[in-house]
Amino acid sequence: MRLFLGSVESFLPHQTRIYTDVDGKLIDLNPAYATYLTRVQGKHSSACELAACYFPPTITAFLERGEQAQEALNEAVALVRAGGGDDLCGPAGEKLAYDPKEVRLVPPLQNPEKSFVIGFSDKARIEAMPKAEIPTGFYKLPQTFVTTGAPVVWPKFSEAVDADACLALVIGKAGRRISPEKAWEHVAGVTLLIDVTARDINKREGLTTNNLLGKNFPSSTSLGPGVLLTHARKDIEALDIELSLDGAVKQKFSLSDGVFTVEQIIARYSVLGIKPGDFLAIGASMTLRGDRLENPVPLKIGSTLRCSSPAIGELAHRVVSAGGTRR
Amino acid sequence: MKLVTFIHQDRERIGAVDDHGRIIDLNRAYAAYLKEVEGNSDSEAWAPVVLGGDMVEFLRHGQKSLDAARRALAHVATKANGRSGIALERRQVRLLAPVPRPGALISAGKNFSDHVAEMSSRKGPGYPVAFLKLPGTVIGPEDDVPYPPEVKNLDYEVELAVIIGKPCADVLAEEALSYIAGYAAFNDLSARDVIRGENKTGIHLMGKSFPGFAPMGPHLVTADEIPDPQNLKLCLKVNGETRQDSNLSYMIFKIREMIAYWSQMGLNPGDVLTTGTPRGVAAGRKPDQTPWWLKPGDLVEAEVEKIGCLRNRIVPE
Repeated sequence: MRLFLGSVESFLPHQTRIYTDVDGKLIDLNPAYATYLTRVQGKHSSACELAACYFPPTITAFLERGEQAQEALNEAVALVRAGGGDDLCGPAGEKLAYDPKEVRLVPPLQNPEKSFVIGFSDKARIEAMPKAEIPTGFYKLPQTFVTTGAPVVWPKFSEAVDADACLALVIGKAGRRISPEKAWEHVAGVTLLIDVTARDINKREGLTTNNLLGKNFPSSTSLGPGVLLTHARKDIEALDIELSLDGAVKQKFSLSDGVFTVEQIIARYSVLGIKPGDFLAIGASMTLRGDRLENPVPLKIGSTLRCSSPAIGELAHRVVSAGGTRR
Repeated sequence: MKLVTFIHQDRERIGAVDDHGRIIDLNRAYAAYLKEVEGNSDSEAWAPVVLGGDMVEFLRHGQKSLDAARRALAHVATKANGRSGIALERRQVRLLAPVPRPGALISAGKNFSDHVAEMSSRKGPGYPVAFLKLPGTVIGPEDDVPYPPEVKNLDYEVELAVIIGKPCADVLAEEALSYIAGYAAFNDLSARDVIRGENKTGIHLMGKSFPGFAPMGPHLVTADEIPDPQNLKLCLKVNGETRQDSNLSYMIFKIREMIAYWSQMGLNPGDVLTTGTPRGVAAGRKPDQTPWWLKPGDLVEAEVEKIGCLRNRIVPE
């Protein structure tokens, strides 16, 4: 199942709801679950309160509710599948099923404490960098997040902007100093991430082993479109992730190509503590294969950038100029 | 004004320190002002709309919330006595960091020439150097710092925290100070051994961001009270012994230049920039650094002139 975060026109933009896709429609889970509670369980008085508890305004809060919220999700979806699309409505007659274009998506994870991209660790680079014994990660500021449909804005301060596709492991269970054996228990699902970099600035910052302006400008992190819920290791390792520019495939990878394993990465970064809604994104830079692939992918103003994986969905962006004059 | 974030009766509140050192609950004080002066019959609902519920919201509301806070303080200065919940004694509350959850925490590196020299590192480049500390590592003036078992070389760095008060993008250095909401003392705790390991292959992240590695406080002094932030003494003591003693006038990139440069990424109210640290850190001691590293039990005091003194104890995790 996939969870999306967004709002519809009749709500204020910051009033987000959690949606899931059933038969091509996006289902607003909060009233869908309230309907389940009233129709199937006969709970009329507490239905809305319970629905708001299990389907709060963020996916992070949903993940914090744990297994009970997962069960509520299963029940709501089962009802929608049985009840058949458009006719179904909430307890007060409200609309439940939306056409995807009616829902304005926002990044599925809004304000994680740990939003790390694990980089500098691909086989290709390790040959050139024999000292890479540990995965090295960096932090992406939540204020840089955008999701599919939003433009990627070329920053005024850069002459060379590029992109890398990543698969973000979404954390569902809090923990600290997690052993490799238990690592997968903390994964709730995955989402796609495009790490956009102002490479000229990034190279310069690398001289002082820093990573800030070159990786953290508005729209430098695309996240989404939704979270695919699964902690089945085999399923996640089998996902193929593709990055294309103007229709040409530029990167293609899966986690099974990785130099460092998910277990190693979670064990290392959970030393700081991780909790629901945090993510660790593993990049194409870590897993490159094939001879026609580029790492990273240089962008051009006017290009269309896409990152996709069939089971998760697609992030699509136009690369646009910031306007104004360069400083 | 000295602004604080505090816990009272298990709730996080925003406040200001009054002339007697008491903590004024700003939402309650402004509600009293609205009711008693403006005759607002729904004052308790209105106060948080104007002031905001937490410090970042308060800063986002800009001049409006600052003016409201001043009115509230002036009102209760004469009338607060005896009213419950508005003026609280210091011991009745637990102070958090004034901005407990900054949007971004940008810490300058290599920004004092004496510190660059003691670290025997290459001279800083011709542009500002900084890194991100995780905002979740911020702790307040009454919190202890847990000493992580993974760390061998724990170091201190006294800095000034500059809190942004207005959205800013591509601002000029000459105008940059007008974007500042206020200042606090800051200690950029650093696990040098972890950072050395990370630097071998990439950038440092973990070594600066264990839980509690960013003490900030004790309060936010509003910018109007500090006409020249570039000329303030900085001092750090460990168990009463002075380790760092310098002045912000020795910064390589000045506060206004830092804001101008980092505003290229877009800064927002509640984002925090820290100045970098002067000489005197443990990692710069010669020939043997061993006795200088922080250890469990140490009391670290980071003080900035006219801003305040931040005391935190290192405790075993």
